[in-house]
Amino acid sequence: MLELSNSVLVALLVALISSAVLLIVQKNSANVIPGYKVSNRDPTFIIAGPTYSGKTGLFNLLTTDGHKPTVMSQEPNVAEDYMLPSTAKSFRFKLMEFPGHFKLRYRLYDTLKDSTSLKGLIFVVDSTVDPQKLTETAEFLYEILGLTERFPDGVDILIACNKSESFSSRPPLKIRDALEKEIGKIIERRVKSLASVKKADTTSGVEDEDGAPPQSVEFQSNHEFRFDALDGNVDAMDGSVLKGQIEKWECWIDERAVN
Amino acid sequence: MIDQFVVFTLKGQVLYHFNPQGRKLAENHINKVISHLITSPSKKEESGKYLLFKLDNFAAACFIGKQPPLVYLVTYAAQDLELNQEAEQVLDLGFGLWDSLKLNNSVLQNLSGKGVKNRHNYTWILEGCDSNLNKFDEYFRAKFSVIKPGKAKGKPSVEGNASKGSSLTGSKNNKKTVQNAKTRKWGRDGIIEETNVGDSSALDFSELNEEARASSLAEVDKEAFGTFTEKGEFLINEIDELLNKNKAEASKKGQSTGGAFGFLQKHLLGNKKITKEDLSKVLEKFRQKLISKNVAPEAADHLTSRVSQDLVGSTTANWTSVELTARDSLQKSLTEILTPGVSVDLLREIQQKTGKNGKKTPYIFSVVGVNGVGKSTNLSKLAFWLLQNNLRVLVVACDTFRSGAVEQLRVHVENLAQLTDEAHIRGSKNRRGKSGNDHIELFEAGYGGSDLVTKIAKQAIKYASDQNFDVVLMDTAGRRHNDPTLMSPLKPFADQAKPDKIIMVGEALVGTDSVQQAKNFNAAFGKERNLDFFIISKCDTVGEMLGTMVNMVYATGIPILFVGVGQTYTDLRTLSVEWAVDTLMS
Repeated sequence: MLELSNSVLVALLVALISSAVLLIVQKNSANVIPGYKVSNRDPTFIIAGPTYSGKTGLFNLLTTDGHKPTVMSQEPNVAEDYMLPSTAKSFRFKLMEFPGHFKLRYRLYDTLKDSTSLKGLIFVVDSTVDPQKLTETAEFLYEILGLTERFPDGVDILIACNKSESFSSRPPLKIRDALEKEIGKIIERRVKSLASVKKADTTSGVEDEDGAPPQSVEFQSNHEFRFDALDGNVDAMDGSVLKGQIEKWECWIDERAVN
Repeated sequence: MIDQFVVFTLKGQVLYHFNPQGRKLAENHINKVISHLITSPSKKEESGKYLLFKLDNFAAACFIGKQPPLVYLVTYAAQDLELNQEAEQVLDLGFGLWDSLKLNNSVLQNLSGKGVKNRHNYTWILEGCDSNLNKFDEYFRAKFSVIKPGKAKGKPSVEGNASKGSSLTGSKNNKKTVQNAKTRKWGRDGIIEETNVGDSSALDFSELNEEARASSLAEVDKEAFGTFTEKGEFLINEIDELLNKNKAEASKKGQSTGGAFGFLQKHLLGNKKITKEDLSKVLEKFRQKLISKNVAPEAADHLTSRVSQDLVGSTTANWTSVELTARDSLQKSLTEILTPGVSVDLLREIQQKTGKNGKKTPYIFSVVGVNGVGKSTNLSKLAFWLLQNNLRVLVVACDTFRSGAVEQLRVHVENLAQLTDEAHIRGSKNRRGKSGNDHIELFEAGYGGSDLVTKIAKQAIKYASDQNFDVVLMDTAGRRHNDPTLMSPLKPFADQAKPDKIIMVGEALVGTDSVQQAKNFNAAFGKERNLDFFIISKCDTVGEMLGTMVNMVYATGIPILFVGVGQTYTDLRTLSVEWAVDTLMS
């Protein structure tokens, strides 16, 4: 009887110690913080873009093959192990869609920083917007490029020009050109604008900070900005979520998913 | 009558929508509400368990469910007592029914990935809910039509004698105006109410209005009833039973977890359903920490209440303690508060500003703030940055009050002139006979009362556009924010000068008072005009105590653009939200 309780005690002790070790390992690997902070190793496609461009609509169309009413999102949509029916059955990836509101874009930036296997990014744009007024869209794309270009081969980006069913929609190439030009201007302005606060600044004036590896890439302004000069490909294709005409985009995803 | 009732997820999927007029979903209203929720979380009014908003031309009431995270929203024409009540009833009904029909359970199941997967290996959030959703629609419509007649009976009979009716509406109007004096829709009624002693025609008019509305309502209700007469009663009984059963179940479910396992879950294992009690200790700790970093108690309360709103009812992830989860949520709230809701690219705006005839006109900044926060210093820093970008800057001395203010600005202008052009001789006049050189110049007109300020401002702007300046920077006198006589000249000043950007300088040192400072300065420019952004000065003097930033943004929802981090002209930086949040959380 005594022996039995001893063995039970030992077993309990072992269980406790092992779970404690497991816990410490898990905590130290910094993988335990819930939600978006978990560093993301799965092959991932990301849908992003400014508000009212139809991102959630596209996500719904891709995941459920149907058009559903949507409103402004406040949280990312995620489909784990997503499968395109046309691709090889074995290939599955994560499909994430991020809200476009200014205050919520940090979610996207965090994910871009934490992901290691980004297969592609679909940047949804409302093609009915006047190319003259694309500055804010270009700014958003510029921020994204700064994060994606830190990968050795960059990340392929599809500028998905949504709402092509509308008579006022612009051709995708025109939008791509307009964005390219705007980003060039933004880079020029960024060089001129004030630097942002760094930790060192608050305590001891100006200090050089070249120790940490750069989280994002700074673009040079000495030559004209061109999408072609980037490591990742930037394509522009038209489509319509409302009419379900997204074959071109699906093909684009397909190509990247297989590779 | 409400405009629409919508159930949607935080992820943007609309699960159910209902419009009494049978129109299609009006997304733009909903988007406005969501946008409002995201940008100014501190400004919402809470009444009971529902959030009530008043937006441009409509009002909204919403309830945010936790498990699963769904938003139930009602929009309606204007905020008044009656409609608010109706909206709340509709929300009660919608939320209750949704839960009773087990839609919550199925949604949860689908969200956790246990539902049926389609060919994309994805579970649509309403997978397998079709029959229940149809039932929901049917029940909801049936119940909705009952809400109205119930209300009509509750209302004083409008067809009663005129004098009784008028006194009743009179008192009702009174209530309404007290309830929400700001509501524009009732502005007219308010006037009627004021003059109703002798002016009976005005009264009659309101009476007619009331009557017409009531009768049209009655018609609609009858129609709605018509379709339900055969099984209407039966249906409603069934629904009531459903709702009651659910309530009983909910009350039966009390505290069930506890003991050692609960403790383990809370601190080690995770996967625990978070309750208010779990959070209270942790949140108190965070609150103290935030306050120790100079965050005003008011703002700290708001932040912690957001965390508890965010977390109560949700479950922690595996291997995560409640504290870690709460910390994360707090970090999220801080980031969301500090991130600007709009993009501000000053250089672009300066370049693109043109007048009516397409001619380039100067871009006007005006700097306001309490005494001694560093208005002039930060204005010169800003001027230095603009000069670096080859813009021509006119500095205007609108502080005509404090002795030495103009001379102080002249010193800055001399310094900056020397920095841009080494050949500049201090104290020399440029070819227009003013202090400074071709790049930067001081516009001054001595000292005087507040009339002089607007006069100077107008003259300066005219001068600047004649002389092709790119930017006008206006320094104003420092003023105590809680003194109406000092604050009141700000509005005519802004009306006359029409600055493109009104910048408030706040010092990082100030602490709790910053909430009131920001609020009062923001209100000083009237309803139509707000501050555009903050410069937080003296950040180098506070170390980690950056609470003032949170306070000011919390109080107004206006973003911080620059922070001052030192004494020299180059010590102006843009705010990095990441840096600020990290510093506050460390």
